[in-house]
Amino acid sequence: MTTAPTPARPAEPPFRVPRDRADLHRFLQAALTLEHLTIPPYLTAMYTLRPGTNRTAFQVIRGVVVEEMLHMTLVANVLNAVGGEPKVAHSRFVTPYPARLPYSRDHITVALRHFGPDALRTFLLVERPAGIARPPGHPSVASDTGWTSVGQFYRTIATGLAELTDRLGEHALFTGDPARQVGPSDFYNSGGEVFPVTGLDSALTALRVITEQGEGADHAVYDSDDRVFGEHRRPGHYFRFNEILQQRRYGPYDTPATGPNGPPLDVSWEDAHPIDPAGTLADYPPDSEVREAADRFDETYARLLCTLETAYTGEPVVLRDSVPAMLELRDLAEWICRNPHPDPARRALGLHAAPTYEITDAHFARAWSTLLS
Amino acid sequence: MTPRPTTPPAECAGFVAVSVHLTGFDEFTLRSTGMVRLYHDTTIEQVGRAAVGRFLGDLAAAGDDPGRITDPVSLDIARAITHLWYLGVWPRLARATHTALGRETANTAFVVSPQAWSEGLVWRALGGHAPGARPPGFGTWAAPPPAPHPRPAPSGARP
Amino acid sequence: MSAVPPPRERRHDVIVVGAGMAGSLIARHLGDQGWRVLVLEAGTDTLSTWEGHQEAVDTFHAALYKVPNAPYRPNAAAPSPGVADLEGLPTGGYRAHGYLLQRGPLPYSSDYLRANGGTGLHWMGLTPRMHPDDFAVRTTYGYGRDWPLGYDDLEPHYRAAEQQLGVAADAEEQREAVGLPFPEGYTYPMEAVPRSHLDHLLAGRLDGTALREEPGAPAVPLRVVTTPHARNSTPDPRYDDGHGYRPAGAVGPNAYGERCVGNASCVPICPAQAKYTPLKTQAVWGPHVTLVARAVVSRVLVTGDGRVTGVEYQRYEDPAGPVHTTHTAEADVVVLAAHAVENAKLLLHSRLAGSSDQVGRNLMDHPTLLTWALLDRPTGPFRGPGSTSGLEGFRTGPARSVRAPFRVEIANWGWAWPAGSPAGDVAELLGIPADTTAPRPGPLFGPALRQALTGRLERQFSLQFAVEQDAESRNRVTLDPRHRDRLGIPRPVLTYDLSDHVKRGLAAARNVSRELFRLLGAEDHTAYAPGPLAPGHFRFDGADLVFQGAGHGAGTHVMGDSPGTSVVDPWQRCWDHPNLYAVGCGSMPSVGTSNPSLTMAALTLRSCEQIHRDLMDLHRPVTLRPHPVDKAPAASRRPGGRP
Repeated sequence: MTTAPTPARPAEPPFRVPRDRADLHRFLQAALTLEHLTIPPYLTAMYTLRPGTNRTAFQVIRGVVVEEMLHMTLVANVLNAVGGEPKVAHSRFVTPYPARLPYSRDHITVALRHFGPDALRTFLLVERPAGIARPPGHPSVASDTGWTSVGQFYRTIATGLAELTDRLGEHALFTGDPARQVGPSDFYNSGGEVFPVTGLDSALTALRVITEQGEGADHAVYDSDDRVFGEHRRPGHYFRFNEILQQRRYGPYDTPATGPNGPPLDVSWEDAHPIDPAGTLADYPPDSEVREAADRFDETYARLLCTLETAYTGEPVVLRDSVPAMLELRDLAEWICRNPHPDPARRALGLHAAPTYEITDAHFARAWSTLLS
Repeated sequence: MTPRPTTPPAECAGFVAVSVHLTGFDEFTLRSTGMVRLYHDTTIEQVGRAAVGRFLGDLAAAGDDPGRITDPVSLDIARAITHLWYLGVWPRLARATHTALGRETANTAFVVSPQAWSEGLVWRALGGHAPGARPPGFGTWAAPPPAPHPRPAPSGARP
Repeated sequence: MSAVPPPRERRHDVIVVGAGMAGSLIARHLGDQGWRVLVLEAGTDTLSTWEGHQEAVDTFHAALYKVPNAPYRPNAAAPSPGVADLEGLPTGGYRAHGYLLQRGPLPYSSDYLRANGGTGLHWMGLTPRMHPDDFAVRTTYGYGRDWPLGYDDLEPHYRAAEQQLGVAADAEEQREAVGLPFPEGYTYPMEAVPRSHLDHLLAGRLDGTALREEPGAPAVPLRVVTTPHARNSTPDPRYDDGHGYRPAGAVGPNAYGERCVGNASCVPICPAQAKYTPLKTQAVWGPHVTLVARAVVSRVLVTGDGRVTGVEYQRYEDPAGPVHTTHTAEADVVVLAAHAVENAKLLLHSRLAGSSDQVGRNLMDHPTLLTWALLDRPTGPFRGPGSTSGLEGFRTGPARSVRAPFRVEIANWGWAWPAGSPAGDVAELLGIPADTTAPRPGPLFGPALRQALTGRLERQFSLQFAVEQDAESRNRVTLDPRHRDRLGIPRPVLTYDLSDHVKRGLAAARNVSRELFRLLGAEDHTAYAPGPLAPGHFRFDGADLVFQGAGHGAGTHVMGDSPGTSVVDPWQRCWDHPNLYAVGCGSMPSVGTSNPSLTMAALTLRSCEQIHRDLMDLHRPVTLRPHPVDKAPAASRRPGGRP
């Protein structure tokens, strides 16, 4: 196995409350990148599962992925509402893996790993509750600390939105074309609904949904979907992942401190195809079927992002096409992961192939031409 | 990560090579079903190692062209393995084959697992998916059918 | 909703027998109005949990024969009929195995499902309204029976049912192409489900043309029309005066119940729960509704004055075990919602509602003719919902006086129903005949096999002609005390046949199919012959025909405007028993050519209003007439249309 170089961290906006509209656009664009960052690792865990095994774990991760898609879409709505232009279909949008988790003081590496305790531990680090870190400029926060958590980053955006609304007036800040808002007709169920962002209140609600679905509401185990969407109570992402890792459900009286004490949850770690978390496309021989499939996967992934960008930049109805693209990716990813690694040395270690998410500009060019034809 | 040292470099390589000749699908596609081990084990369980051995000998003697196998028992095994791959269903053998093999199990057809149904190659031959599995997404049925993937190899697919 | 059996002494306002579509809707509405509702379901309750749903999907995948009941566990305590219970004989005729006993010249070929959710678990989910002409077939066309209601009486309830089921359709198209009246500006809750590629191909060749079903007959204009579905599509923001529609959720950790993803397995189970099932209605039952599953109602209890007091039921713990216990439950109103055949069985076994001698009679279905062909290009078979469009031009008109009308469904799943594709094609090309003693032809292998299969399958399509069956008193459910189920309840005995009117409809459908295939330039592969898979074979006018059941059992407690000739009044209340309702397709005097569930739901919602009024009357604190409903003469009880 190769030793990966120190992972790069996606570019972070400066450690301050956004000062003007352009600043806000930059922060929200960074939030889009952040929400997307976790999707490839989650998909990798799902699609390395052996057929028919670990159903519960699969559904948990799938549910989280759908919510990450919801988060991306909500961020895009906020960005559109304040007159921005969400950009997700370019090669720099997809962070190279392994990546370093942004907005964190700790060096947390986010790699593409097969379903297993290592992957789950990474997911927990990514989704862990933020604590009470205040936005930059707050008396409790030293000016030179830098970002300490994702929750802090979102609170900073919320603060910026509120301050700019105060300064400019709501009408002057929320100038976006309402027709660009993605609504519940375009994305519904299975993880909440998308709602249009038209002013400060809906923008803050969107940010709240994003942070609480991840971390749980008010530092409790359960998120606030039941309040926002009228849905059943369920644990936030962090706690849902912890249930898998601990192989036990949270009970109704459990708290973050008690950990899960409910009924056991069946997990079989060995029913996943092991992959190389530092793998790259170059590891697959150029003429191999796996290489061809992995390349096709990347192109299809590019098509998914092109679809999202189209939906986020004026044609919300196109968002429905993202589901067929996701399902095509599901097939391709499972087909690849069920094949042994074509490199003999890695195959000898029992490793399987996997998509590497090296989405290049060439992939985007081909994807656009497919979509436009 | 702890790779399992017991995993052979390529699981059931011989069975996969034979299945390429039987089905017309390449090794990548066969392995992509995730069914290799299950079908290998099912075949041995249903007809026994000895009969599988004779079938492999007969196939080799026929120049790897299963259509030229002359022994009726081996030919029936070829049919059954192919049927298994295409539908996920182990079929009933000809009564004569069943008798010749002295099988102790009943000669009944069965779906070997719920996933086997979903992974049937017949759906790949159409570029589609098994009913109730691998759905392609809202509205996809409105578009012309996708091309079968991968396209059939021109002749005698590579092993 | 509670799964705990109620304490024995507790009285209920309403007992609903059967937790299928009608029963679930009734329980919801009466429960929401504060009435205490006990729902007794004969079958098991496994599908209302995520694990149970997943297991059913697995069971379907693992089933060798993908029949409608395949995902649902067989239940010896509450057996269900299955389509595989019938076997055709080599030279014609049939033999029936399984739960239903059959004594008719032709078999009743439909199944149903006794489980929580009922047959609504495995319905296709097509929800066309009945045509206004369908309600007066006796008066207008001289066959069958008239309804005591008209389309206009039912129209508001159709809208209510479309809301409850979450129907996706295009009202403008339905108005124009089918001739359905809607209130001005009506939109369905969701936009129409997209048409299949096949629909587009057929529309391209048929729209704007016309067809004569025989020389000299009038030309029928052809137009491919999108079919309404109770299936999640795209919510229409214009619905409900611009309030939009929020699709109902379903069971599962991710609040499933999303947009249809094209599993192409609506029958027998929608893995994504995009299709409406009664479980979605049960999910919003209020606290006043109690469900008890594994409770088989064996008799309705009645007093001397004709009022019913409750029911007797048999509880079992283990569907495979030998033990059951007898219980009774009491209520002010009893509603039978157990399926047309089961409702009739219960009434007959309880010796109730019999003054008109119509209980169990007028059994109807939609005898269905399948035709199949190859188009000259790939049709994209085995994708999407089973049918997304149809041809509506044969549903009504003067021809109805001569032959039964029909609706043409364009079938998206290749030859799956008529010829068992693609499994049958694989077996045939491999030389694996059904008979293990038959000689085995030389097989194809490798790329030749692949290419042959693709070639055979990719151009397949079929048509389903759902023919209206007229109510005939000779088609009936009876009981034979010698044949009982494991709980000692007599099994239904069916006597079934097709009238010449229906047979002429089927023969006309065959002609129309030939003409359609000719217009399409399609290769007709339709062939009918007796055999094990053709229990519905018969000869008519010198030709072989085979019909299938559509699963649309109806008519067995027929609704009418007079106690002398019908079982239930226009509110589906038994004429003989003022507090006993029998609801469902069994009340329908005619079935038109529409899949009947939507109409059943509309009728059911309409009945809820009257049940509520009955209960209000009974619970009025001070009243001069203790039993006003009792004392009113039958004729004045009849509400006859909208209140």
